[in-house]
Amino acid sequence: MKRPGSRHYTEEELLMHYLQEETREAGQAIAGHLQECSECSAVFKDYAYLVEQIQSWSVPELQQEAWQARKANLLAHYREEFAGGRSRGFIFSLQKSLLATWNYALENPLPTLAYIAVAIAFALERTISTFRLDRLLPGASEVFEILRQVF
Amino acid sequence: MVSPQSDEDLVANTLRGEEEAFSQLYDRYRQRIYATVYRIIQDAAEAQDATQEVFIKLYRSLSDWNPQRAKFSTWLYRLAANQAIDFWRIRRRRHETQPAELSDREALPDRGIGDAILTPFGTLKQKESIEQIRRCVDDLPELQKKVFLLRYFEDLKLEEIADMEDCSLGTVKTSLFRATHAVRRTMRRTGGSR
Repeated sequence: MKRPGSRHYTEEELLMHYLQEETREAGQAIAGHLQECSECSAVFKDYAYLVEQIQSWSVPELQQEAWQARKANLLAHYREEFAGGRSRGFIFSLQKSLLATWNYALENPLPTLAYIAVAIAFALERTISTFRLDRLLPGASEVFEILRQVF
Repeated sequence: MVSPQSDEDLVANTLRGEEEAFSQLYDRYRQRIYATVYRIIQDAAEAQDATQEVFIKLYRSLSDWNPQRAKFSTWLYRLAANQAIDFWRIRRRRHETQPAELSDREALPDRGIGDAILTPFGTLKQKESIEQIRRCVDDLPELQKKVFLLRYFEDLKLEEIADMEDCSLGTVKTSLFRATHAVRRTMRRTGGSR
């Protein structure tokens, strides 16, 4: 018997309960309800049986020889591409590093902006010191001074 | 005894060009990848070709795998499922243009069924049920098919599948329910379910 006021669960909720794909609280509530409600309990058992049937769909193992022949062929491909790839090693690793940097920048925009700002400031300071720009542009000497103190 | 290398180590070594590492990855995952691919394509020969393609794609795109985002096996199953769906699309198109040709599945309806676990009494009924499941899975939309197979056969959690497919957990739950419900409906119609 179902407790008065408690609702029936949907088929989707019951399936998720069987697969343990719901939150712990929801799981406890449904488990309690199933003890009392024969209707939901019947649907739950039906899904449990169905999932068991689905999971009994097995795939035949391939014979070892079939795998070995395919494996030999695959490893030949791998060797060939890696041997070719090594001559292009530098470009490949450069591409990879740039891609990794780009991905990092997309995932962490704020730290990336901070790094860029620091790099620009550092480059400016070096440029000013090397070419003595503070003498050529005395109006901007305060900015140069700040940069010099930072680095 | 030497403990088996982790997936992470094998991946790193494969990327360094160590053939032995790649060979171990192949041995570790070939049967499971084949099973995933087979259940989508439902043709043994094409599933073997597709499995081969998955492993070629694997070493070509191995540097894209980000261990912080997904387990290696999850990433690999996604690669396999996508590859299998591509094969399945081509196969379906081919069958639409050549309706008279019998498919592998139709020609040999008993293949792929785990007879060993069945009692003689239950065998026929079980075979029929699995045949219905196979037909039903073949007709499912792509996302439902993927979610159904990855959840029931690769034991991935729905959250992992949602991450993998870049969609919400709700969408994945609904897809799995719709797919399971479709199978249930079919089996009820034909008397295959309780």
